[in-house]
Amino acid sequence: MNKRRTVATASMVMAGVLVTAGCGAGGPSAGGGDFTDDKVVLALLNDASGVYKDVSGPNSKIAIQMAIDDYQEKYGDEAVVDDIEVTSADHQNEPDIANTKAQELYDREGADVILDVPTSSAALAVATQAKNKKKLYMNVGAATTELTGAQCNKYTFHYAYDTWMLANGTGTVVTEDGGKNWQLIYPDYAFGQDMVKSFTGAIEAGGGKVAGTIATPFPNDNFATYITKAGAAKPQVIGTMHAGGDLINLVKQYNESGLKDQGIDLAVGLMFISDIHSLGVEAFEGTIFTDAWYWNLDEKSREWADRFMEETGDRPTYAHAGNYSAALQYLEAVQAAGTDDADKVVEELEGKKVEDMFLRNGEIRAEDHRVIHDVYLARVKGPADVKEDWDYEEIIKTIPAEEAFRPASESGCSM
Amino acid sequence: MTSIATAGASVSEQHAAIAGARPWQRLVLLGIGLVVALGLPWFVYPPVAMDIAAWALFAVALDLLLGYCGLLSFGHAAFWGGSAYATGLIAIHLGVPFPVAVLGGALFAMVLAVPIGYLSVKRSGIYFAMVTLAFAQMLFFIANQASSLTGGENGLQGVPRSFFGIEAVETDSFFFYYAALPIILLGMWAAWRIVHSPFGRVLVAIRDNAPRARALGYDVERYKLIVFVLSAGLSGLAGGVFAVSHGFVALPELHWATSGEVVLMTVLGGIGTLWGGVIGAGLIVMLADYLASSGFDGIGIVTGTVFVTVVLLFRRGIWGTARHMWLSRRSS
Repeated sequence: MNKRRTVATASMVMAGVLVTAGCGAGGPSAGGGDFTDDKVVLALLNDASGVYKDVSGPNSKIAIQMAIDDYQEKYGDEAVVDDIEVTSADHQNEPDIANTKAQELYDREGADVILDVPTSSAALAVATQAKNKKKLYMNVGAATTELTGAQCNKYTFHYAYDTWMLANGTGTVVTEDGGKNWQLIYPDYAFGQDMVKSFTGAIEAGGGKVAGTIATPFPNDNFATYITKAGAAKPQVIGTMHAGGDLINLVKQYNESGLKDQGIDLAVGLMFISDIHSLGVEAFEGTIFTDAWYWNLDEKSREWADRFMEETGDRPTYAHAGNYSAALQYLEAVQAAGTDDADKVVEELEGKKVEDMFLRNGEIRAEDHRVIHDVYLARVKGPADVKEDWDYEEIIKTIPAEEAFRPASESGCSM
Repeated sequence: MTSIATAGASVSEQHAAIAGARPWQRLVLLGIGLVVALGLPWFVYPPVAMDIAAWALFAVALDLLLGYCGLLSFGHAAFWGGSAYATGLIAIHLGVPFPVAVLGGALFAMVLAVPIGYLSVKRSGIYFAMVTLAFAQMLFFIANQASSLTGGENGLQGVPRSFFGIEAVETDSFFFYYAALPIILLGMWAAWRIVHSPFGRVLVAIRDNAPRARALGYDVERYKLIVFVLSAGLSGLAGGVFAVSHGFVALPELHWATSGEVVLMTVLGGIGTLWGGVIGAGLIVMLADYLASSGFDGIGIVTGTVFVTVVLLFRRGIWGTARHMWLSRRSS
């Protein structure tokens, strides 16, 4: 009996101690001065373990650190803030985890801005948190136009790419260059359906027509029947809206189908250089796609890509470069505002014309917070033309910033 | 089915636990539980604390079915997610205080559970698990296709936390936790009440020997259906709170992986114990949260290892093993 009472008392005391100990850590953190906690914290929230790891993942943290280094080198003693940190979290492509982590980054880790966030549902969830917490959020990794459309808000900015830009680039340009007759193959879920809608609009605007659309299950391995069906209609171009592993399978099977020899081209909706790297240029040779940025674009991008390669051993995708640019432009805005106060930083960013290693003729549109810039139509080189590792793309056309993205008037965004 | 029955507490053990435990022991346990529940947002980040509470109720709801009736549902995401969507839609379109929306969601889950349960309880064992899984997958694809209503792939965004205009609750997760906790505790109490009622005894009898229960004159299928619907309702309460806490609902709530996760939590904590689900939920949610910021990319490996270890070494689960040791020490 005695023993039992001791156990019970001990548990009660333990519980009591824990509660009292916790009290100190509980309350909301107090802010003050021009900089909260006397520092600026940039937070990277993306997929560090799953399917999008190679596209952005942990290497984006290195890209952000490079932006911090460049900022500090540029301003030296003039910098308004000395202490700049970068922190990261893995959202595992789960919107729930992204949502909780975003709150935690803002509240607990004192994040002043959250960067990246691939996967549309996760990206939109974080946008809501940014709005509620009144803190900045610069999305790089997600494709949905909703971020700058119906669900836009004052604190959310969208970098790099979206479905409209991809469709417009590939759809319009290929059509205008003679590929008038299209067949579209798409995975039957939101991204695929959106892309088909955007592509159809772009192709028709370019004077072409979509003779047929073919839905495939998602995810899927065997595309042979769909490719044969599309080829039987004798189109000039087959457009595929698949991504990642599905895309790789589809491209392999397209190559085996012999359609290429019949002069039927393949255009890809969304592709990253890491996809080409994983499968090899042979498989993708001749494929046309829209790229937000390419590491071997010119001296400036190449120089940055060399630095990135020294740090990581890989060439950067446009998501890496986009994260660098977003971090750098954020810090520039902080420098101009002299504070990390979100409202003042937003004021600095809105309508700003920017030019950096990633953004060419860039502008941070005030109306919908879409960051516009020149984008590129690329063709995958053949093995014979590849002069070095990662030298996979030939830029066949530059699409000027004003034409590359959805016009602000059509966005449906009201802030 | 026998494997599940043996993994759970045996009837005699349960009797010992129910009859043998002195009231003051139970009160102390309950007291500690309450202190932890009330103190949780002081130690862990409040939204994570809310996740733990919601998952805990979800695991308890599953345990009601798995531990006390021997039915392994592999489609409980349908009720968690179905209620999450219903709660979200009610909160968005009607603007009612969130507890009302959550109750509406739970009600929806129960209504949903009637036809699903009616068809599922005709089977048992692996067939029951497969039938429930099939229904949950159907709901998943319906939610995916009905994007004008559910937002499809993008999810249902902007679920408000209306609470009689009290701003602290509506904006601060810390206070929201305390506003939502009573709903969770109500659900837990309901589960406890069900288990400790004559109805609960009949369930255990059905679990251990269904033909015998039928011979005694109990309508086995009707009992199974009732507990299935009750379990769905409690899952719905949990899912609704989860949806309001996060401010949005996305497709993963309906995904089969969610069903798998709650089974994992329940088995980890110990089936047929109620408390086990709470412990399993706390452990898994904390682990996932910790690993997400640890920079370690093998999250699945860690949770998988924990699961395998528990299944191999403590077949009764964490709480089940602890209770078993306590009881056997006392009886010796």
